[in-house]
Parts: sequence; structure tokens; C-alpha cells
Amino acid sequence: MNEKTRGLIQRLTLTPYSVWALLFILVPLIFVAYYAFTDIDFRFTTDNITRFFTATSTVADGETVREVHTYLLIFLRSLKLAVISTVICLIMGYPIAYIMARASVKTQKIMVTLIMIPMWMNFLIRTYAWMTILQDTGIFNGMLSLLGLGTVHIIGTEAAVVIGMVYDYFPYMIIPIYSVMAKMDVKLLEAARDLGCNSFGVLHRVIWPLSIPGVLSGITMVLIPSISTFYISQKLGNGKFYLIGDAIEGQYVANNLHFAAAIAFILMIVLLVCMALMQRLANRKLIVA
Amino acid sequence: MKPISKVYTAIIMIFLFAPIAILLVFSFNEAKSLSVFSGFSLNWYRELFKDAETLGAVRNTLVLAASAAVISTIMGTAAAVGINKLRSRVLRTAMDTVTNVPMVNPDIITGISLMLMFVFVGRLFGAATSLNFVTMLIAHVTFCLPYVILQVLPKLQQMDRSLPEAAMDLGCTPFRAFMKAEIPEIMPGVVTGLIMAFTLSLDDFVISYFTSGNGFQTLPIRIYNMTKKTVTPKMYALATIIFFVILALLIMTNLIDTDKPKAAKTAKAARAKRSYSRRSRIAAAVIGAVLLIGMICVIVISGGNTLTLNVYNWGEYISDGSDDTLDTVKAFEEYYYETYGVKVKVNYTTYASNEDMFAKLSSGAVSFDVVIPSDYMIARMRENDMLLPLDYSNIPNYQYIDESFRSLYYDPDNMYTVPYTYGVVGIIYNANKVDEADAHGWELMWNEKYAGDILQFNNSRDAFATAQYMLGLDVNSTDRSNWDRALEELKDQSPLVKSYVMDEVYNMMESGEASIAPYYAGDYFTMIDAQADDVDLRFYYPDPTNYFVDAMCIPSCCQNKELAEIFINYMLSPEPAIANAEFIYYASPNSLVYEDEGYIEDLGEEAMAILYPEMGDFRELYNAYAYRSLDAATLDYVNSLWETLKIN
Repeated sequence: MNEKTRGLIQRLTLTPYSVWALLFILVPLIFVAYYAFTDIDFRFTTDNITRFFTATSTVADGETVREVHTYLLIFLRSLKLAVISTVICLIMGYPIAYIMARASVKTQKIMVTLIMIPMWMNFLIRTYAWMTILQDTGIFNGMLSLLGLGTVHIIGTEAAVVIGMVYDYFPYMIIPIYSVMAKMDVKLLEAARDLGCNSFGVLHRVIWPLSIPGVLSGITMVLIPSISTFYISQKLGNGKFYLIGDAIEGQYVANNLHFAAAIAFILMIVLLVCMALMQRLANRKLIVA
Repeated sequence: MKPISKVYTAIIMIFLFAPIAILLVFSFNEAKSLSVFSGFSLNWYRELFKDAETLGAVRNTLVLAASAAVISTIMGTAAAVGINKLRSRVLRTAMDTVTNVPMVNPDIITGISLMLMFVFVGRLFGAATSLNFVTMLIAHVTFCLPYVILQVLPKLQQMDRSLPEAAMDLGCTPFRAFMKAEIPEIMPGVVTGLIMAFTLSLDDFVISYFTSGNGFQTLPIRIYNMTKKTVTPKMYALATIIFFVILALLIMTNLIDTDKPKAAKTAKAARAKRSYSRRSRIAAAVIGAVLLIGMICVIVISGGNTLTLNVYNWGEYISDGSDDTLDTVKAFEEYYYETYGVKVKVNYTTYASNEDMFAKLSSGAVSFDVVIPSDYMIARMRENDMLLPLDYSNIPNYQYIDESFRSLYYDPDNMYTVPYTYGVVGIIYNANKVDEADAHGWELMWNEKYAGDILQFNNSRDAFATAQYMLGLDVNSTDRSNWDRALEELKDQSPLVKSYVMDEVYNMMESGEASIAPYYAGDYFTMIDAQADDVDLRFYYPDPTNYFVDAMCIPSCCQNKELAEIFINYMLSPEPAIANAEFIYYASPNSLVYEDEGYIEDLGEEAMAILYPEMGDFRELYNAYAYRSLDAATLDYVNSLWETLKIN
């Protein structure tokens, strides 16, 4: 291919996307920063940012009352629930991705489809259905008491919110890991076995290191939406879990766009830093492996 | 598969499909409850097909998802080809980084960032509406693009680079070489990308929530906005239908797949494969073309020469034709055509709360002709010059509005509003759990005997008011210590509260999940209709309590004021007014309604007594206890207190 046609193809194919990305990916982010650092009359201010770090409220902790940083607490709580959900997704999803990758082509196809189907049901309706399953008089407790096991209180607890997050974002964990594993060369596993590895050794030394790219994108795709959700916490948390997504949505509804933008801005920065660190860590690990 | 793998797979599948099984079962429920199964019925399917708004939302969702998928697939595939050809490392890294941004950014940030930009730019150009179908489409294409690129790019990298070159050596033009040699190689990636984009767009709620505007509402938005009333099993019926359609589609595609020869060993098989792949390409092209044409048709049709009226109302707050009621919006369209000979299309859009509506309207990003906010919000809108004075000569039916509902504080000179409904906040309790002796006053909501059985409003204004009424405080105070005291009370109550609810109240009270809840009077009857066998719901008014009026107004962004006034007038005429009053179950200020014998009979004595209590002078009570508009500083303060309560 000569240079001229190459250049032409590049211009033709890349220009629409570049323009689009500039206008609708990069410029909007600048707007978030702009709103975050201005007040209602668009004058420069750092008040919104400082408010995030300094706003305090008193919290009753048993008998004692303590002062906490409102938004930092909300942020840490969101982070905690999102990390727990991501870890559970990984622990539950990794084996299923492995099973899928080793199954026959036909089974693989069926299983991928089955895992994708729930995503076609509306996200809000799915979460609503979990509400009716988990509530105290719900189907889950009904089954437990039929079995004579008594009942458990789940709805409104951290467990319910985590179940909701795990359920809603589970396919996002399985699919990337699966697609990496499906491409793995079976000969490698056989070679490892021939060289004296037991099953654990094969998993530990061959499969896991090779699947790290899939695991990383799975973690990203679960962690990011769970940290910022507000519908799950509203419905399954009995309105008692105020997460960072609720805070942003709350400020938006209260018509406080500049503070909403400030919270979004801080969240964005923190996540970008986290992702960059994770990527760097993974790269180092890959080299070691 | 090993047995242990089989067991594990089964467990995961049960986890994935349990909620869907619930949806399936309850879509056939006779009653409105989503937790008590009372008998088999196809009722909700019938209701669904009568609900024009929901079907419209489904259509919108599909149109949006298909358009976004097609556009992002074309643009994304082209971009992937371009990125793959990039030689400069710097450019390549820059492209990869930009592509990654929407993926590592939470959807809430993508949504907010786009919304801020659209609103800002719209304001700059003085556009009446800056959020509409196009902005939603842009948002959806933006978040679908990276997924398409990430599906196509690896296929391009795996492809043998000598392939297109060989094609060109054999005399192909570069374009032809691309079409003949590259496209078939990357097709699987393109198809996966298309499906992913369609799925993501179909399921998206958050980004649509921030970028949706006039008239064009998708299904997730419609469901979210049902929060004031309840999510009906209609939605479960819809989900069930979607489930079976997808299942059928998947089985069909799998059947086609098995026809496909596994490997082209013989020349015949190879020919078969070629013709198959040509057929599938033709099929893909046809589907693509149909989608595009459909899209264009929708856009063209929506821009036809009929009049449009944009109405913005609470979710489930107008008689919509379900349960054999009158579809008042459609009836208005017919009425207008018969009377004036001009077609009018009502774009009916819903919101979840007054605050939600205010946020959208004041952003200047949407334009509506009629809105139906509550009193305190009307006052706030007036303070912000967001309402237009009405021409009452176009609204002759205003004469039937009872004297007590005129010149209330939010509209002292009767210039801006026509009351739509009014009501009183009461307490609903389950008499099988709650002692009759305890059932009085707001104190019931603080009674430790019923810890874990109490519900509280999940909106700051109503929740604070319960505490303020109990303490005898002014609900409209600008004195921060007043709000601090209410907060202390709410904090004390918090361990007793099972859940902070809006629409969830129905489900929880009907199933006996909770026993005590404050809510709006009429909604009590909706709950009774669906209560479980061992639940016996009762109702009383604490004193003092909240009195509210929701009224129709015309916002300053209105495009066709006279048409809006005709709409308002029509909603006051007997047939639609009674249909709305019976559907919403709130009291009506319209004498054509509350004096109508059919209406009184339909409601029954008990309902009449609760909806229209002997309360003496409404105006006096209203003036004393209704919410007023709070100033910005107080609102912000209340909001921060609410956050404090929520993190306890």
C-alpha cells in the first residue's frame, strides 16, 4: 500500500471518531471541571471542592456521638461496598469463566447467551425483583421458613446492596475473563502437566497469569458502575445507604449543579488514579510472570 | 464437564435467573401486588397493550438503541481500522487513552458531563430545548463507541496483514481490497460490537436519566418516574415478553448456526460457505437498512405538521386508559381534532419529584407547555419567573373550582394556576400488628414497640415535616435550629425505621413487610385493593398534618400557550376530570367531580369520608400547615442535614 492511500484511509476512518471523541468525550469532562470550580454565577471558586473535604456531620455511634466528614464517609462507604462486590464477582465468576472456556463450542455459546440474557431485562426491573425476593416477607425468607430454617433479615443491610451490585454487574466480570481464557492454548496446559505440575500448579502458574488482562478488565467493569450506582442503594438498601452516586444525584435534584459537578470531578480523579495504579501493578506482574 | 462443574454452573444459573423467574410468575398475578400471588390472570398483559405511554417508551427505547448501535458500529469500526493503521506511537497511545475514558468513567459522570455541556451550549445559543432525542442519541453513541472499537481492534490485529496487500496485488482497488479481504475477517468483531452496543444502550438508565428531555422518554426513565405511585406488574409483563422474544431470537440464530458447515473441506462445502456468508451479509445489510429507514421515518414523522403539546407530569398521575378507564390524553387529542379540525399530538413526559422537575426546567434544557407541580414548587417557580400568567377566558371551566382553592398563598391573585388535585398526608397502619390504642398522632412513627416495622418518606421535605408536625414546629421556618431539632428527632427515629420509601411503600405495606407508613390519603385505597390475606390496613389523619394542592400551570418556556390553556380547560371538564380523580384517587377541587353522583357512588362512603374529610375551613388549615417555598440557603442546609441523617 503506498503512503498516499494509507494517509487517505487514515483521514477518512479516523476523522469522524476523532472529532466525536473530542466533542463528546473530552470537552464534557472540561465542563465538569469548569462547573466544579465555579459558583452559580460562573465565578471561579474552590468552595465546592473544599466543601467535599470539610463538610462534617455528627453521627450517633452507639451511646457516643462523633463528628465525621460527611462526603469522605459516603465515599469510603461506596468504595467499600464496590470493592466487596467486585471481589465476590471475581471469586464467583472466575470458576464459571474457566468452566465455560473448557466446555464444548456449543455449550460455550449457550452459556454466553444465558449469561447475557439477564442484561436484556431492564436494570431497574431486575433490581425491583430482587427487592421482592429479599424482603422479610419475601420469597427467599418464605423458602427458608418452609425448610424450617427461620428467617434472616437481608433487605436494607449492606448484604442486600452487595447482592444487588453483584447480580447486576456479574456478566461484566465473566465475559472478559472468559474471552481471554477461551483463547488460551490448551497445549500450554498440557505441557505444564507433562512437566509435573499438579492441577493447582497449572492454575497458579499458567492459567492465572495468562488470564490477568481479562481479570483486570472484569474488575474495571464491575468496580466502576458499582461505585457510582444510586438506584440499587435506594431500592435494596431501604433508602438507608447513601452512596456517592446518591450524593451526586441528590445535589443534581436539589439543583445544585456546581456541587454535583465537584463531587463527580473528585470521583473521576480518584478513579483515574486508581486505574492507572492498577494497570501499572498489573504490567509489573505480567513481566514477573 | 465434571459433575462439580455442572453443580457450580447450575448454582450460578439459578442466581442469574431467580429474579427473572419472579418477574415471569408475578406478571400473571391477579392482584396488583408484586409480592403476594393471589391467582392466575392475563390482566396485566391486557393492561400493557392498552398503555400507549409505555408502548411509546418501548418504541423509543428500541429506536434509540438501534440507532445508537448502528451509528456507533459504523463509526467505531472505521475508527478501529484507522487506529490499527496508525504508525506514530504517541498518536496511538492518545487514541487508546481517549477510547478508555468512557469505560473507566462511571456512567453517572458521563451522564452529568454531557448534560452540563448540552445545557451550557444550549443556553449560549438561546435554544428553547437543548435536551432531546438527538442529545440522548449522542450520549448513547458516545458510551457505546469504545465497546465497538475494543471488539473490532483485536480482530484487525490478528488479521494477516498480507491479505489486503495480496488482494491489491491481484488488481483490487484499496477500497475493494478492504471490503473483500478485511471486512470478512473482522466481521465477527463488528457483529459482537453491534450486539454489545445495542444491549448497553437498551439497558442504560443513568446516562439517559441525565440527558433525557422533551417528550422522548425511554422505558428505564418511565419506570424510574413511577416513584410517586407504584411500579405496576405491567412492567413485569413487559419484561416477560422481552424475555421470550429474546429467547426466540436466540434459538433462531442458533438453528441457523447449526446449518453452517463446520469446515469447508470440500469444494462444495466451500461454495456453500461462501454463499452462506454472502447470504448472511445480505441479511445484515437488509437489517441495517431497515433500521436506518425506520429511524429516518420516526424522525420525519415526529416533525410532521400537527401541533404538539408537551405535558410534564408526575408518573402515574393521569388516567391513562388502564383498567378500562378513559385515556384522557388521547381523549384530548380526539376532542381537539373534532372541535378545531387540527391534529394535535400530546407529548406526555413524566418526572419523579417536584425537585426533579424543577432541576430539568430551570436548566433551560427542556421546554414544556403544561406542568403540574405542587404548591410550594409553584411558589418557587414564580419567584424564579418560570411561569406565565394564564388567560382565564380560555379556561371557562375554572368556574367549577371550589372557592377554597382559589387565591391560595402560592397564587394570591389567581393568575398562574388551576388546581388539579389536593390531599392530606395521613398514616396507614396494619391493624393486625398495631394496637388500635397506639394508632394516633405522629407519635406512632416513633413508637419503639414497632421498631423495624415503620416506614418513613424518602424525600427530605416530607420526612422533616413528620418530625416538625409532631414537635409543633413550623415546617417553613428559616431558623436553622428548628431544622436541627427535627433532625435530632429523625435521628432518634432512624433505628426504628425499616426503610425510607417512596413507591416501595405499596409493596411493603401490602405484603405486611412493614406496618406503619405515612403517605398520601388516596394511595391508601390502592394499597387496600392489593393487601395480603393477613394484612388489615387502616388509615387516620394525625393532627396537624400536611395539606397540599397540585395545580396545572404554564411554564415560561411554553411554545403554544393557547393550546396549553385549552388542554387545561379540557382536563376540568366532567368526563376527563372524573376519570383522573378516580384513577389518581386524590381529592378533586372541581365541583363537577366531587358533586357527581356517579363518582360518589364509585368511590363509596369510606373513601369519600377519607378523601373529603370534614375538616372545617380548608383554607385556614392550608395556610397554617402547607409547605412554602424555602429560600436557597435553607434548602441547601436541609439537604445537607438529610445527608447527615442518611449516613447515620
